[in-house]
Amino acid sequence: MALADQIVRRRRAPRWVRGWRIIPVIGLVLVFSFPFFVMLSTAFKETGDIFSAPPTLLPTTWTLDNFVAAFDQIPFWRYLANTLFVSGLSVLGTILSCPLVAYALAKIRWPGARPLLMIVLLTMMLPPQVTMIPIFLIWNGLGAVGTYLPLVVPAFLGTPFLIFMIRQFLVSVPGELIEAARIDGASEFRTYWSIVLPIARPAIVTAAVFQFVWSWTDFLNPLIYLGNPEQYTLSIGLYAFFGENDVAWGPLMAACVLFTLPALFLFLLGQRFFIGGISTGALK
Amino acid sequence: MHLTSAGRRRLGVAVGALAASALVLTGCSAAEPDGPEKITFSYLWGGAEADAIEAIIADFNASQDEVEVTGISSPDFQKQLTSLSASQGSFDISDHFGNAVGSWASKGIIAPLDDLLAANGVDPADFAPASIEQLSYDGKIYSLPIAVHTFQLLYNKTLLAEAGVEVPTTMDELADAIAALTKVEADGTITQLGLGDPSPSTTITTLGYAFGGDWDADGAPSPTNAANVEALQWYYDNVVAPVGSGKLAAFKSGVGEYMSPEDPFYTGKYAMVIDGEWRAVNIPNTAPDLDWGVTAIPAVSSALADSTQLTVSTLFIPSNSKHKEAAAKFLAYLVSDEGATAFSLALGNLPAKLSLVGSSAYDGIPQFSVWLDALASDNVHALSSAPYSAEYSTDLGLAFDEVLSGTSTPEAALQKVAGNSSNYATE
Amino acid sequence: MTVRRRQALAGLAFAAPFLIGFGIFIAYPVAASGFYSFTDFNLFQAPDFVGVDNYTRMAGDERFWIALTNTLLLTVTGVPLSIVIAMAGAHLLNLPVRGQPLFRALVYLPSIVPVVVGGYLWRWMLNTEYGFINHFLSLVGIDGPGWLVEPEWTKPAIVLMSLWTVGGTMIIYLAALKDVPRDLYEAAAIDGANWWTRFRHITWPTLSPVTLFQVIVNLIAYLQIFTQPYLLAQTRLNNVGAGPGQSMLTYAMYLFQNAFSFLKMGYASAMAWVLFLITLAITIVILVSSRRWVHDGSR
Repeated sequence: MALADQIVRRRRAPRWVRGWRIIPVIGLVLVFSFPFFVMLSTAFKETGDIFSAPPTLLPTTWTLDNFVAAFDQIPFWRYLANTLFVSGLSVLGTILSCPLVAYALAKIRWPGARPLLMIVLLTMMLPPQVTMIPIFLIWNGLGAVGTYLPLVVPAFLGTPFLIFMIRQFLVSVPGELIEAARIDGASEFRTYWSIVLPIARPAIVTAAVFQFVWSWTDFLNPLIYLGNPEQYTLSIGLYAFFGENDVAWGPLMAACVLFTLPALFLFLLGQRFFIGGISTGALK
Repeated sequence: MHLTSAGRRRLGVAVGALAASALVLTGCSAAEPDGPEKITFSYLWGGAEADAIEAIIADFNASQDEVEVTGISSPDFQKQLTSLSASQGSFDISDHFGNAVGSWASKGIIAPLDDLLAANGVDPADFAPASIEQLSYDGKIYSLPIAVHTFQLLYNKTLLAEAGVEVPTTMDELADAIAALTKVEADGTITQLGLGDPSPSTTITTLGYAFGGDWDADGAPSPTNAANVEALQWYYDNVVAPVGSGKLAAFKSGVGEYMSPEDPFYTGKYAMVIDGEWRAVNIPNTAPDLDWGVTAIPAVSSALADSTQLTVSTLFIPSNSKHKEAAAKFLAYLVSDEGATAFSLALGNLPAKLSLVGSSAYDGIPQFSVWLDALASDNVHALSSAPYSAEYSTDLGLAFDEVLSGTSTPEAALQKVAGNSSNYATE
Repeated sequence: MTVRRRQALAGLAFAAPFLIGFGIFIAYPVAASGFYSFTDFNLFQAPDFVGVDNYTRMAGDERFWIALTNTLLLTVTGVPLSIVIAMAGAHLLNLPVRGQPLFRALVYLPSIVPVVVGGYLWRWMLNTEYGFINHFLSLVGIDGPGWLVEPEWTKPAIVLMSLWTVGGTMIIYLAALKDVPRDLYEAAAIDGANWWTRFRHITWPTLSPVTLFQVIVNLIAYLQIFTQPYLLAQTRLNNVGAGPGQSMLTYAMYLFQNAFSFLKMGYASAMAWVLFLITLAITIVILVSSRRWVHDGSR
């Protein structure tokens, strides 16, 4: 390996040529983040400066008024705490449940694996609009409307999308590793815990990121299930800037920047695990 | 592979914390035996409007000690529907729009108010008749108007003066004004439109009334009423045909957001628009330099003078509320002269009460009276609220879109709506 | 206890969270919607059984066909574009360049922006006078279209806004690229294999099961596409628009309108089941074909 590394390094192009690779990467990043930069710059613009033809990217005068207005309009820290609570619990639920189910679907040879995979797939295919009210009535019957339970419990029971995703990652894990552990007499759970989970870490971190962002940005479920403004999450708070006929653009964009920053920060943090990935895994 | 005992403990702690928090989440709804009856007011408003509502709620709570209202902003009507579908709802009073009353009343999900109003001394005769008509179903009142809206002709004084156009008072004068105020470049590109349409549906249904039409004759959809067809044809001939539907669409794709500083009426791209009273509050804030006026929609004949359309924001009490009497007390406060004035001033809407027409409370809002006085007009109409209203207004909107884009004639498009109406929900 | 039996018990135990969730929160709503599809149901009053009326009525419903056609057009353009852009983007973001974690975050950022705000942002960006897109096009001499008012340009606008959030698909690929055996890759580079050979024989076998997942979930997502067209066509809050010439009316929007505006939940449920069958049929075709192109590590 060390020798191969040396050979590879010698064959690599000189530094200035490799430097060029950053250009397409930057191009990609610019295209995707452009609307966000529009949002960011609008948050610092004065009202009269927001729209112009042709449009301008940077504020002519920088102002923090929009952020002041945003903090004035919504109880930001309370909503942030509520949102972190819901998102955090949901992520925990996802990490606990989804890999378990995915393992049953990918690596345990039992007659239920195929049919259950089909069921997981099928549950994604029915448009959610027609199941929304029956699901609401179940929670209502359980007396849980007005609590956070309907927002966090489903994650502990596994999300079909994420189960299917992790399952597809596990499929490409060589079966010999798991067989070897089984032959050594390890229990199924031990095999799962000590062999499969470490290998699946990139997939599980990805699932956690997805669940986090879903919970973070979810608007309709918190609105339907929470009964008290004290419980509200940030995504509902953003509606404080939509009037019946008009939109408070500057404060909305400022609030939106405040809304995305914590999630962005956590995502950057999460990448440390992400990058850890396979090197700590047990593939070799 | 390497599960440390520390890792295991962390997991255990996390699961324990979860179980504990789940317990906390469920176990906190102890009822107080005495004290004021607590009710929840869920409203669709957000932003500055929600702040105004909260101020009014606080005033009500301070004014008496029998009922305590908690306000909650729920800016999506799916929340209302889910709550209404359950045996016990999450709110005791809420707001919606007049055209849904028939549909909701027919399904029994909103409570009839007649007895509750009588008990609280509220007289339906105090409200604009067209609004009460829309809010009644099968002889009973199911909602009260918290605010109403009428539509009038706004014009940009500077542009009219430049073009040497007088404020139009008849449909023919309006047609001439549109022609004089529409500016087109040599290649057909529009730079200024005589009459803009912030909401084509509202503009055209309102014009239908101004031409003497009726969209619901005898409690059923009547899209093909001759005056309706005439109004739509007039609109096409005077607004769309002279510039071409393609050029009109291209022009509209470059207009700014509604009621923002770049609203096309504020920037002079639209010389005139037919719109509601909320403009009177918005213009001084958003476009303080605009020199504007507003007048009644021009009439086809003197019998049809001051024709306009009325739309209604309503308050209702859901059938599944356990606190209907308390909710009715709050409702009575909201529609009292005091409550209605505070509410309409805060939102820049018209009060629904006839006693407030001419009230000095609105003197601070420029030209508000043009919209307010229309409430007393004999020619103010509201679309009916029936179980089919949502489908009907959707179909009308699609028909107008076809005509304005030049893919159908007024006659054919409205005929198609009439054909569809046989499929409409009946209850 | 036999091995088979132990395996079956293990399978049940591992799948238990989902089995419980399915039993409590999924089975009943699914069954209920199936039942409603054969009834006249307005959400609030007892449903009336009407046989297959809802299904036969769809055949003669002009708007149903418009919505279905629009949705299929969005799907056949949106799904392949999502997959190709996500896979190419993931390769770029996997290059070892300085600032890589930040770049990844920025590409994923649009998924964190609340979709309602995203909708407003895009309507503004697509405005021909005040928006950036046509402004940039005009800088290179292109006279941009009226995205949201010309019927032939509304679908590209929807796909554009949807592709903006393709970062989610991209990070799944990034996670999958972690599993590509790098030592093999570098050995192949030494052997002088070109990038296509390396992709074909080393990267693709690892990415193919994940690609199967991406194709299926993107297919499901596009067939149910709602939020982007709903927001782009919306003229006021809480109002279902359809765009010029109904070019933005998607299947899920029409279904939503029937369910919550017209309160025809019976018809909406029937529409949901028809979409379910369409999705299922396409998925089965993909799954059958996948035996030829998906590499299974356990085989």
